[in-house]
Amino acid sequence: MTKAVIINGDGKTCSSIIGPTGPEHRRLANKVMEDALRQANLSFEEISCVIATGYGRINVPFADRQITELTCHAKGVASFFPTARTAIDIGGQDAKGLKIKNGKLVDFVMNDRCAAGTGRFLEILVDTLGLKIEELGNTSLKSTKKVQISNTCTVFAQMEVMTHLSQGTPLPDIVAGLHDAIATRVVRMAKKLKIEPDVVFTGGVAKNIGMVNALKDNLGLEVLVPDEPLLTGALGAAILGKELTLKALAEGKPIHEKERRLEEATFFQAESN
Amino acid sequence: MTAEEKKGIARAKEIYQDRALRAKELKAEGKQVMGYFCLYPVLEVLTAFDIAPFRILGDMKEPITKADACLPTVVCPFVRSAFDLGLKGRYDFFDGVVMCHSCDIGEKASHIWRIYLDPSYYHFLDTPHTVHKAAQEQFKGQLEDFIKTLESFTGKELSTDKLKEAVEIYNRQRALVRELYDLNKSDPPLVSGTEIIEIMVALMSIPVDEGNDLLKQVITEAKERSDGPQKKPYRLLVWGSVIDNTALIEMIESVGANVVMDDTCVGSRAYFPVVETTDDPLDGLAYRYLVELKCPRTFWEAEYGETKKDYIKDLDSRFGYVKDYIKEWDVNGVILQSVRYCDIHGYEVPGIGDYLNHNSLPNIYIEHDYSEGALAPLRTRVQAFLELIG
Repeated sequence: MTKAVIINGDGKTCSSIIGPTGPEHRRLANKVMEDALRQANLSFEEISCVIATGYGRINVPFADRQITELTCHAKGVASFFPTARTAIDIGGQDAKGLKIKNGKLVDFVMNDRCAAGTGRFLEILVDTLGLKIEELGNTSLKSTKKVQISNTCTVFAQMEVMTHLSQGTPLPDIVAGLHDAIATRVVRMAKKLKIEPDVVFTGGVAKNIGMVNALKDNLGLEVLVPDEPLLTGALGAAILGKELTLKALAEGKPIHEKERRLEEATFFQAESN
Repeated sequence: MTAEEKKGIARAKEIYQDRALRAKELKAEGKQVMGYFCLYPVLEVLTAFDIAPFRILGDMKEPITKADACLPTVVCPFVRSAFDLGLKGRYDFFDGVVMCHSCDIGEKASHIWRIYLDPSYYHFLDTPHTVHKAAQEQFKGQLEDFIKTLESFTGKELSTDKLKEAVEIYNRQRALVRELYDLNKSDPPLVSGTEIIEIMVALMSIPVDEGNDLLKQVITEAKERSDGPQKKPYRLLVWGSVIDNTALIEMIESVGANVVMDDTCVGSRAYFPVVETTDDPLDGLAYRYLVELKCPRTFWEAEYGETKKDYIKDLDSRFGYVKDYIKEWDVNGVILQSVRYCDIHGYEVPGIGDYLNHNSLPNIYIEHDYSEGALAPLRTRVQAFLELIG
């Protein structure tokens, strides 16, 4: 997913957009930006600072700066929950644990090598289960006896799920088992950070109530979830953009180090130059 | 010899890109070239026999295809890659190989190398993993055995004078490498971390005297050049398992940092310890190679048998030199890196991590697959680490 958040000088959100990324990252970055500008009723020239983050951060030609999603997420989380000390972010392709102090990132762990332990694990398994991704949370709430599913490999887990289906295990028990498998894996990773409350759960997977419960159980702690857990990173980027702008103004320095232009980028533009 | 013969840093790059370039010329001149694995085969001994040592390394750019038929895939990909190159004939110009008990995988792979590649000379140097007196004596005995096998292979007797000469010329090389590294104490450093890898790999691919000439050229060039590295806000030290390819350092340097110092075995670890002159050169050599080479494949403790008594004192005795590097090279962040499945470095990480944290030195641990393509996810980690240092 590609997301854009625009905030004003008071830190108030003017617009927020979520769009599917697709294969042409640069073109979509433009489109999402245009949509966000339209929603906020602003022109590109009125934007003081653009921060790009996430895996695609190098594919945003109109950005002033690139900052990693780890720093941005920590910033976004701290803006929602100033008491947050630990954040767990489970997205479509990775899972992160963040340690936050005084609103800033101080340590992190990351799993980005394997789909097991990320949202992709669930995306792949919903087909086998004949469910929609949005249905997983409520389905798992009906579980009475969750099954154990190994979390080392998505493909192996899929085979285990098929075995359970063929044995007639009720769907809710399988789904609860899947949530537990992800939660165990992510918590094991996050424990390297010495988890401290408050714990915040973000990323697309945080929209799944079953996952929120599984995370709580595995941590033995309460878990806070923002209203729109998908936008934490983009919001954090916007807040960092605001901070950088204010800092540049205070120091009497130019905000933009280079000229920016929002125009349709061709795919792999840099390479063809 | 061509009119456009390259010198200094360009020459190092040329050899880095085609490691066997010079070795094959030497072979054509009738010289013997011998492959060695890891840092423990004593190079002075080979040189004293007029044999040019050539370090066996892997190739991150070359996909491992043949080695997987002989080795399991869940072992050190560096060793798998090196063995894969052997199977593909990349090291066919060797007159023989000297292997050692670097680590368990290094040891097993050595024996497998012998079976599959059947070199005309093969020696396995049994290298102890502890450093106390009895281990040093044992290692010296192993060196005596090593010399005997070379005497019978070459039909020549080892001359003590030649061995002493070899010690001297290698110590000169070590002093030159230190002089080169000292250039990176300035800000910006005079030589990039990427270039350091190219230079170190080149040194391990050519005879020692030629290496010394190359180093002199490099040092002069680095002092005079105007196209050196740019000043950047982060000065990093990279610690860990073997890095014999520029890709990892290039990635780190591309996100806004200069790698100004390292503690790896294609770097300072291989060259900083010098050999003390002793009446029997083997005493100095055994001590340098076993005790002074600081690789986690060897176990150290502050005082023999006292590891548990004072953790910080113990860590200080093991990693104090890294703290000194950090101070001398004005380093503001440490990247602890290891190739996947490297047990010896993996088990060392908690200790060095605790030590750096105890001394409030920012550090991050990253693991990689010894493959150029798999570096992209690490970029985010390194960049986030830099953001975190602030």
